[in-house]
Amino acid sequence: MNDNMRPLPIPNDEDREFWEAARSHRFVLPRCESCGHVWFPPYAACPSCLSRERAWVEASGRGTIAGVARFHRQYLPSFPPVHTVVLVQLSEGPYVYANILQSDPSQAAVGQPVRVVFEDVTPEISLPQFTLAPAD
Amino acid sequence: MTNRSVSRKTAIVGIGSTPYAEMYRAPGNCGTALESALTATAAAIEDAGLRKSDIDGVMVGGLPNYESFMLRAGLTDVRFVAYYPRAGRLCPLALAQAAAAVESEMANYVVLFNAVEFRSAGRRFGESEDVVRSGRRPTAHMETSYGLAYGMSTPGANYALAYSRYKSEHGLADDALGAVAVSSGQWASMNPDAILREKISIEDYRSSPYIAEPLRRFDYCLVNDGCAAYVVTTADRAKDLPHTPVLVASTAGRATIREYYASEDFWAEACRSLKNDLLDGIGLTLADIDAVSVYDNFSTSIVWMLEGFGFAAPGEALARVADGWISPGGQLPVNTSGGMLSESYLQGWNNHVENVRQLRGDAGARQIAGCRTILYAGLSAVPAGDVLVRGD
Repeated sequence: MNDNMRPLPIPNDEDREFWEAARSHRFVLPRCESCGHVWFPPYAACPSCLSRERAWVEASGRGTIAGVARFHRQYLPSFPPVHTVVLVQLSEGPYVYANILQSDPSQAAVGQPVRVVFEDVTPEISLPQFTLAPAD
Repeated sequence: MTNRSVSRKTAIVGIGSTPYAEMYRAPGNCGTALESALTATAAAIEDAGLRKSDIDGVMVGGLPNYESFMLRAGLTDVRFVAYYPRAGRLCPLALAQAAAAVESEMANYVVLFNAVEFRSAGRRFGESEDVVRSGRRPTAHMETSYGLAYGMSTPGANYALAYSRYKSEHGLADDALGAVAVSSGQWASMNPDAILREKISIEDYRSSPYIAEPLRRFDYCLVNDGCAAYVVTTADRAKDLPHTPVLVASTAGRATIREYYASEDFWAEACRSLKNDLLDGIGLTLADIDAVSVYDNFSTSIVWMLEGFGFAAPGEALARVADGWISPGGQLPVNTSGGMLSESYLQGWNNHVENVRQLRGDAGARQIAGCRTILYAGLSAVPAGDVLVRGD
C-alpha cells in the first residue's frame, strides 16, 4: 500500500511529537500535567481541564476491537475493496482507527484483543496499526 | 423550549417541498438547490395562506449563502435572519430558533428550509471525488483520528463500525437489520412523492450489496436533490390561518460529538436526555406518542432511537420491527413517508413536512387514524428532537 496517493497525516504543532515518536515505533499519548487526563487525538490543550501543559506518555499499545467495517465499495484509490478498518479502544481509553496488519484482517472481530505494530509508509510517517493478539 | 410555559405557544402553519421522485428520475433537469428553495418556500407560504409580504423572518439552510436566496425570493427587508449552512442534524434546533423568534416577537412569520443538490452534483459522501479530481494527496485530518490514512472514510462506515459492535453484543443475525428497510419500503409504497416506492422483501435486502459491511445498500439513506420548507408563527396567529395548526410542544438537543462519529453507547445517554426534555418536561409519556419520526440517515438510527427512548429494551427493537411493529398497521408507526431511506434525503426536514401532514390528517393512504402527537429525534453528532401536536 506504499503508493503516492495514500492519504497521510501532515504533522502540525498539535501532533508533531506524536508522529516523531511513531517514526521510532513508539506509541505515545498526551497526558495532562494538571489533571492527569489522557486523550487522543493529541489536541494542544487538555479537553478535560483546558490546561496546555501536557506530557507524552508511553501507551501500553494494547487495546480491544470496538468495531469492524469492511469496505466493499472503493472510495479512495489506495484502498481497493474488500478493505477492513477497525475501531480500537486503547486500554488507556481513547479510540483509534486502524488496519489489521501481521494477521488476517478477515479474522478481526469485535471484542478481540489487539496490540500495536507500526507500518513504515514513508521516511517521515510510520502509522500505528494493530495486530490480533492472544488474550492475556 | 422544554418547559410547560413555552410549550404549544408556536405553530407550523405552512409546508412546502419539491417533487422528490420526479426530480430523482431526471437529475440533469432538476435545477439547483437555490431553485428548489424558491419552489418549496413559495409553496409553504401559499400553503400557510400568507403573502410573501407577511414573511418577516427567514432561516436559510443548506445553501452556500443566504443573500442569493433572499434576493431571488424577494425577501430582502425582513426583521429576522438566521443561516444554517448544514441544516440537517440541527433541524429541530432550527425549529426551536424559529419558535423562539416568533414567541419573542423578533418576527411574526418565519419561513425556514433546507435545500440541497447532492445527487446532481455527484456528491457521494466518500471524499473520493475530491481526491481523484485534484490529483493531490489528501490530508488525513486529526479530527477524524487520522482516519483517511487507514482508508476510513464515509459516515456509513462509522455507522458500520458501531453496528458491528451492537450486532455482536446482542448476537443478531446477519440480516436482522433488514427489517427496518422492509418497513420503510412499505410506508413509501403509499407515498406518491417517495423516491423508492418499491416494497422490498427481506430476500431483496439479503441480496443487496454490502457498502460498508455489515451495512447493505438498503441501510443507507438516499442521496438526492430538493428542498423542504415550513412557515412558523405564534399559536395565536395560527388560529386565523387556513389549516389546523400543528403546535410545537417541545424541542431539545444534546450534542454527542465524537472523533469517530458514532456514540459509544449507541446514543442511549443522549436519548435519555432528549426524552427528559421532550416528554417528561411537559408531562407526556411514551404512551402519548401516536407516531415516531427518526432522522434515518442509516437504518440503525431507527433501532437506536427506539431503544434509547425506551420504546424497546436494548437489543430487542429489531425482533419487534421484524414482526411489523413499526410498519403500516403496526402498533408504533415510524417514518410514515418512507423517511430518508425511501422518500427523500432532506436531512430530517422532509420528515417534519410529513409529520405536519399526518397531524393535519392530510397523509392520504398512509394516514394514521387519530394522529395527534408525533415525536421526532435524530441521532448524530448533535442529537436533537421535537414533539409536534395537533392544535385543535
